[in-house]
Amino acid sequence: MKPPLSLRSGIPLTVRVPLVVVLLMVVISIGVSQLVLWRLVETQERQLGDLANAYLDGLESSLVDPVLRRDSWEVFDILDRARAVYAAVRPIETTVADANGLVLASSEPRSAPIGSTLPPSTASRTMIVSERDGVAIADRSLMVEGRQIGRINTRIDISPMLAERAEVTWYLVISNAVLTIALTALGWFTVRRMVAPMNVLLRHVSAAADGSVEPIPETQIRSQSPEWSRLFQRYNRMANALSERELLLGRVAEEERLAGLGKLASSVAHEINNPLGGILNAVDTIRVHGDNPKVRAGAVELVDRGLRGMRDIVRSILNSYKEDRPARGLTHADFDDLLTLITPEVRRKQIALEWTIDIPEGMTVSALGIRQAALNLLLNACKATPRGSKLGFSAGIVGRALELEISDAGPGLATDVAEILTGDEVSAQGVATSGLGLWVTRRIVKDLGGSVVVGKSKHGGAKLRVIVPLVESVSREVADVA
Amino acid sequence: MAAIASAAALASPAGAQGETLRFALTPVFLTSDLALLEALQAYLSSATGRPVELITRRTYQEVTGLLIGSQADGAWLCGFPYVQHRAQLELLAVPVWRGQPLYQSYLISTAGRGATSLDQLRGDIHAFSDPDSNSGYLVTAAELARSEERPDQFFKQSFFTYSHFNVVRAVASGLAQSGSVDGYVYEVLKETNPELTGATEIVRPSEWFGFPPIVAPTSALAGEKSAVLRQALLDMHTSPAGRLVLDMLRLDKFESEPPALFASIEDNWDRVRELS
Repeated sequence: MKPPLSLRSGIPLTVRVPLVVVLLMVVISIGVSQLVLWRLVETQERQLGDLANAYLDGLESSLVDPVLRRDSWEVFDILDRARAVYAAVRPIETTVADANGLVLASSEPRSAPIGSTLPPSTASRTMIVSERDGVAIADRSLMVEGRQIGRINTRIDISPMLAERAEVTWYLVISNAVLTIALTALGWFTVRRMVAPMNVLLRHVSAAADGSVEPIPETQIRSQSPEWSRLFQRYNRMANALSERELLLGRVAEEERLAGLGKLASSVAHEINNPLGGILNAVDTIRVHGDNPKVRAGAVELVDRGLRGMRDIVRSILNSYKEDRPARGLTHADFDDLLTLITPEVRRKQIALEWTIDIPEGMTVSALGIRQAALNLLLNACKATPRGSKLGFSAGIVGRALELEISDAGPGLATDVAEILTGDEVSAQGVATSGLGLWVTRRIVKDLGGSVVVGKSKHGGAKLRVIVPLVESVSREVADVA
Repeated sequence: MAAIASAAALASPAGAQGETLRFALTPVFLTSDLALLEALQAYLSSATGRPVELITRRTYQEVTGLLIGSQADGAWLCGFPYVQHRAQLELLAVPVWRGQPLYQSYLISTAGRGATSLDQLRGDIHAFSDPDSNSGYLVTAAELARSEERPDQFFKQSFFTYSHFNVVRAVASGLAQSGSVDGYVYEVLKETNPELTGATEIVRPSEWFGFPPIVAPTSALAGEKSAVLRQALLDMHTSPAGRLVLDMLRLDKFESEPPALFASIEDNWDRVRELS
């Protein structure tokens, strides 16, 4: 039966292997000990049986005549002398009875007096071992010409045999315990040594997952076995590739930002060009009809309005792309800037924009991050929305989070493109399809601790909901993104 | 014991002259005392100037049979078989123990019992020495006969060990609760085997009887051998080899005594015979 995955994965290898060693050793120890003890018991009981039989055989041949004569003294004399002769058998008490079970004599007459009754035996030529009492009881019928003339019953002291058995048991327990502890320690040290390089690799992989990709130092690589050394070198190659990829992505993102800036600049140039023509006309009007106060005032007003519009556009761009800004919270002005920045594109494609802002002033969420993310998504939505269609944008507070919703009338997002916004992994295919704008947006939202939900909009296209939690204070702007 | 006898016969002095003197022994004294047998044989051989063959038998009956059948020239017998076969046996010498040619029969029991009379031993499992032993059977049987009782009625069970030493062993081990034993043997055992006698106690000593004598067959052919043997026995205390034997036996010497010394044994025998 497999243990639960959480339990298995929760126990380090350095503990698991010694534990397995302990379990195996305990099982093997018990098995081997049982086998050894079983063999010992079998051997001891066979030897005991042989000794008891030799003892009883000797007695049997000597006792037939005195038993036939019912000579209690001679029976006793034989038993008494046999005690010394068969000292190795360690007979505690041997009793001889006649055919009726009446005691003729016992080596211990006080416990089995002459004439008392010897308890009947269960079977002839059998031996019963009682470990509890430390005795073995053997019984032998005395037969003459096929007739039973009496019985010999002997109780043999088996305490030395049991002591030897106990001693062997203790030897087994102690030696197995020592062996188990030694092997467990050996297993622990060995596994610890084996997994040490794995821990090094794990530390570096974990650091890489947290964004800090560092190669394993060359000194550590050299101290490892060839297999680990090769693995470390491959990891280092992978780590270097990752670092280069991050660097490359940063550069690509910067270029994407500049490309976006170029596009914006083009739109802005177009936007500025119109008021600029009016301003130049107004300047000409002033130059020609400047004497007429009414005409001059009207022309100045026109110039003023045009210049202010141009100033707003330029300020919005500056706010969006100027680097090294101090951190600050999100305000209504940021959304006004966003509206300013996308208005040229909206106007160009004759899109009906639904713009709803319902937030308090000075929210504790990164203004630059939200501006960047929202601008990218709005530009992407403008691009996807067919000419003359609708585009919706709303900003509001849901619980302790800022929620932005962008809905367009485009064809919707492909799955691999949607995964760029929602998933942890980015497929090259998705980036190739959507460009880097959405990938940059995902990074911004992720850095702000938020998430993006992709759905279907009421206008028939995609609906993106960006949810960013409010924080205690805005201390850091997202500076490493475009 | 047969092996002992054979060994003793082989050990006869090579330089002895004349016909072999066959001397029979019974378990009157301690069993298996090879050193004693060797010393006795050496002395008798030296004192009689003849090769000496020691013959040991288990029972008095066997020894008596050897004497009557002229298969032995002399024997150390109990007073009881001597009395029984007085017509066929000649009294050669009687041992002197503790200054007199007398000994007692002891009734013994297991230690700590506190019995002081035969009556208190009723219903016991009793150990006798030999049915032809005075101290080991007749004395107790005669005392019971005075009350018109026989051993097989008085005791729950009785058995013969054919050795006074074994009577003490039987009582000491608990196989028998009481026993009839030669007082002389018991006293010697108290010196040589105190652990054994320590497990027993004397219920009562009997009256004094004539000490187990050395006898010879009365046949005419035995005359010369008997005279030689008698002299050797009477002179035993005068030579170092003889003193060695006497010391081992804890005896003073041998002396001539009249058959009347055994009259009390004869009285006991009569009493027992009357009852049966």
